[in-house]
Amino acid sequence: MCNVDFPNKLMRLNVNLKISHKGFILVLVPLVFELVFLIILSVLLQKAEEEVQRQVRSKAIISQANALSKLFYDAGVAMGGYSITKSPLFSDRYDKIVRQIPMDLTELSNLVGDNDKQQQILVRLKTITSDGLKILGEAKSAIDDNRVDVAQFRARHMYKQIRQLADQLQDELKGLTEDERKIENESPEQQNRSRTMVKVFLVVGVVVNIAIAFLLLYYFLKSISIRLNTVTDNSFRLARGQRLNPPLTGADEIAQLDDAFRSMAEALAEASRKERAVIENAADVICSIDMDGKFVAINPASYESWGYYPDELMGRRFIEVIVQEDVPETIRSVRSVRGATGKVSFENRVKKRDNSLVHVLWSADWSEKDRALFCVAHDITQRKLAEETLRASEERIRKIIDHMIVGLLIIDKEGRVESVNPRSESMFAMRSHEMVGRHIMSLFADSRIFSVNDPSDRAAFMETLFTKANSRIGEFDCLNARGEDFPVELSLAEFEYGDGKVRYMANILDVSERREVERMKKEFVSTVSHELRTPLTSIRGSLTLLAVGAMGALPEQVKKVVSIAERNTIRLIGLINDILDIEKLEAGKLDMVFENSPLTNILERSEQAVSAFAANNGVTLDIQPTSLMVHADGDRLVQVIVNLVSNAVKFSPKGAAVTVASEEIPGGMIEIRVIDRGRGIPESFKNRLFQRFQQVEASDAKKKGGTGLGLAICKGIVEQHGGSIGVESEEGRGSMFWFRVPKAQVIVAPVSAQPATDAGMVTMSLHQ
Amino acid sequence: MRVLIIDDEEDTRQIACMSLSLLGGLDVIEAENGQDGVNKAAVEQPDVILLDMMMPMMDGPSTLEALRSNDRTRNIPVIFLTAKAMTSEIEKLKRMGARGVLTKPFDPTVLANQMRAILEG
Repeated sequence: MCNVDFPNKLMRLNVNLKISHKGFILVLVPLVFELVFLIILSVLLQKAEEEVQRQVRSKAIISQANALSKLFYDAGVAMGGYSITKSPLFSDRYDKIVRQIPMDLTELSNLVGDNDKQQQILVRLKTITSDGLKILGEAKSAIDDNRVDVAQFRARHMYKQIRQLADQLQDELKGLTEDERKIENESPEQQNRSRTMVKVFLVVGVVVNIAIAFLLLYYFLKSISIRLNTVTDNSFRLARGQRLNPPLTGADEIAQLDDAFRSMAEALAEASRKERAVIENAADVICSIDMDGKFVAINPASYESWGYYPDELMGRRFIEVIVQEDVPETIRSVRSVRGATGKVSFENRVKKRDNSLVHVLWSADWSEKDRALFCVAHDITQRKLAEETLRASEERIRKIIDHMIVGLLIIDKEGRVESVNPRSESMFAMRSHEMVGRHIMSLFADSRIFSVNDPSDRAAFMETLFTKANSRIGEFDCLNARGEDFPVELSLAEFEYGDGKVRYMANILDVSERREVERMKKEFVSTVSHELRTPLTSIRGSLTLLAVGAMGALPEQVKKVVSIAERNTIRLIGLINDILDIEKLEAGKLDMVFENSPLTNILERSEQAVSAFAANNGVTLDIQPTSLMVHADGDRLVQVIVNLVSNAVKFSPKGAAVTVASEEIPGGMIEIRVIDRGRGIPESFKNRLFQRFQQVEASDAKKKGGTGLGLAICKGIVEQHGGSIGVESEEGRGSMFWFRVPKAQVIVAPVSAQPATDAGMVTMSLHQ
Repeated sequence: MRVLIIDDEEDTRQIACMSLSLLGGLDVIEAENGQDGVNKAAVEQPDVILLDMMMPMMDGPSTLEALRSNDRTRNIPVIFLTAKAMTSEIEKLKRMGARGVLTKPFDPTVLANQMRAILEG
């Protein structure tokens, strides 16, 4: 059990270590072993050294002991010689030895050191030597004192003693050197052993150390490389699309790498899956085309878009599906893709399986690495159709604009021409490029007088233009490139294209022809009136002269007939006058001169004109006095009052009165009322009363005379004054006709006081 | 009072002539065109000239101008007799020196009185 368990524990221990830790252990463990090994080795070497030291000391002690023994013996010999010979030679020698012995003893003491046993021996040695030297000293003294007997005795005695002491010394020295000799004899063996031990330890230590290092190295390498291999294998598996190895346990860098790699692989797989899903489900055809122009990959959209399954297209040349006419251009485009950096777009038509056509926008990208063209083919048929429809619609609108008889100018806010239609070109005798960019003012007769380069003139012109023509029709004089003026009707309409810029469309109608027709009509009317009036003047004059008896009295019958002729001639003249007035009123061409004048003058003139007629009808006129002033054309106002009073007289019973009253009313107007006591006007007729040729009873024209135009003329004249006309009537109780005209105006500053430009711009108005 | 009538229309001239002489009791001299009228005015020295507007060759305004430029006729009052009486035209003629304007067709019974009224007015 234990054997199985151990490696697992070790494995777990190692697995949880980081690679850096493993490297640390790999260096540290052999190092520790090395250290321990070195310490032991040095201890061993120290021991060996000590052994050698001990041996050397032992040798020195033995040598010193031998020297001391010899000295002691020599001292005795010298003393013996001296006692016999008394020769100073021996005495000197003895003295020298005596001095030498303590020095040798000290030397020996140093060598022995702290060896207790040897120290004791040394103490005894000192005692022995000192005793010996004492005896010898006494002997010498006796010799020196010439006490031979003593000396001899002593010499004998001393000799014995010295012999004893020398033996003792010899024994002690023997004891001293005994251990040393033992050491001396034992030491080489000891040293040998020690050396062998060191050698063995050295070899074993190195081997063990290397073994441990290798073991660790092997184990770590194995644990790293196996895991690394797993990761490497995973990368191959990923590339081949195989399942990855099970995740690595542990928390080291490799496990982290493995974890990161797995995350990356998952992300890649997800991205790839999404990409695939996008391609598979794309509405656009996505394909790649090789160097030979053949499809090498294509997504399922090809069926939906073109009617071909991807398998059918694979390997086929892609231009086979392109419409024949579009092939050359397509080939050119494809060639350009290879030279281009980035995407190139081109359009062509693809022939579907059912032979219908699809407009396709290709977006192609050349991959040099894959030597293939990657294309996205987008179906733009709907867009093309819409474009075609739009183009057709634009064409239609363009045609309409091109054929309009109205000239169109598009101008910006400042009045610069942006575009024109063909009619404008012919109208102004200019090509469109000559007109575009010009200021619109240069196309008007005003540019003769005012400078188109002067901003204030331009501004004044534009203001006049907007005032007169914005959202209504204004009349202007234009100028063509030949320098000819021509009258136009112009209307401005504001609009925007959607770019936020305000523009105006000027609709210009050349009214030259209409003006000419109007002029001719006017001339015709003038001529006709003259041509009719001239003979009528003669007829009427002749008849009147006859009727009044200027040619002498006429028989009653003749007079009656002449009167009828005269009356009807006068009526015809009235009719012609009324028709001419109506014509002029309708055209707005009835000339009028407005001035301030006293109303009473006008009423007087009117009274003069109708008093005879009233008298003939037995009707009295009641003209109420007034001091009011009116702003009106006096003659025309007389015409209106005469007309109303004449009517009132016609429909008044004999003996009745017709009243003319006047009153100022709010709004700066003066109301003039003509009141009769006649039969009144039916309610139903009031609306039509002021229309032409309307009379209450068909017989009225015959009975009462009149053209049926009178009230219509009155209405026209009053309205041209800026006034109004009406009637209040109750059938059977009479009528009240009223009309309103402006009261006299306060004289305002003359026109010349206004800025010159404004005054000049008035010339733009042809007929105001 | 002597009146010179200048009118190219024979009938009109005669009616005017008769109404002024027979009904108005005036002396009347006739001229059938502008030039004739200017000549006669210079010679006869009428008190007033009735001048037609529309005449061939020399129309009313031209005749008026000729009369105005002649010392002998300059001060003779001129009244226009016109078939096309528009207010603006009347004003224009007055500015040119005409004393007044009478319209055709005229009422023969009141022509002399109308003329006198203008001269007095």
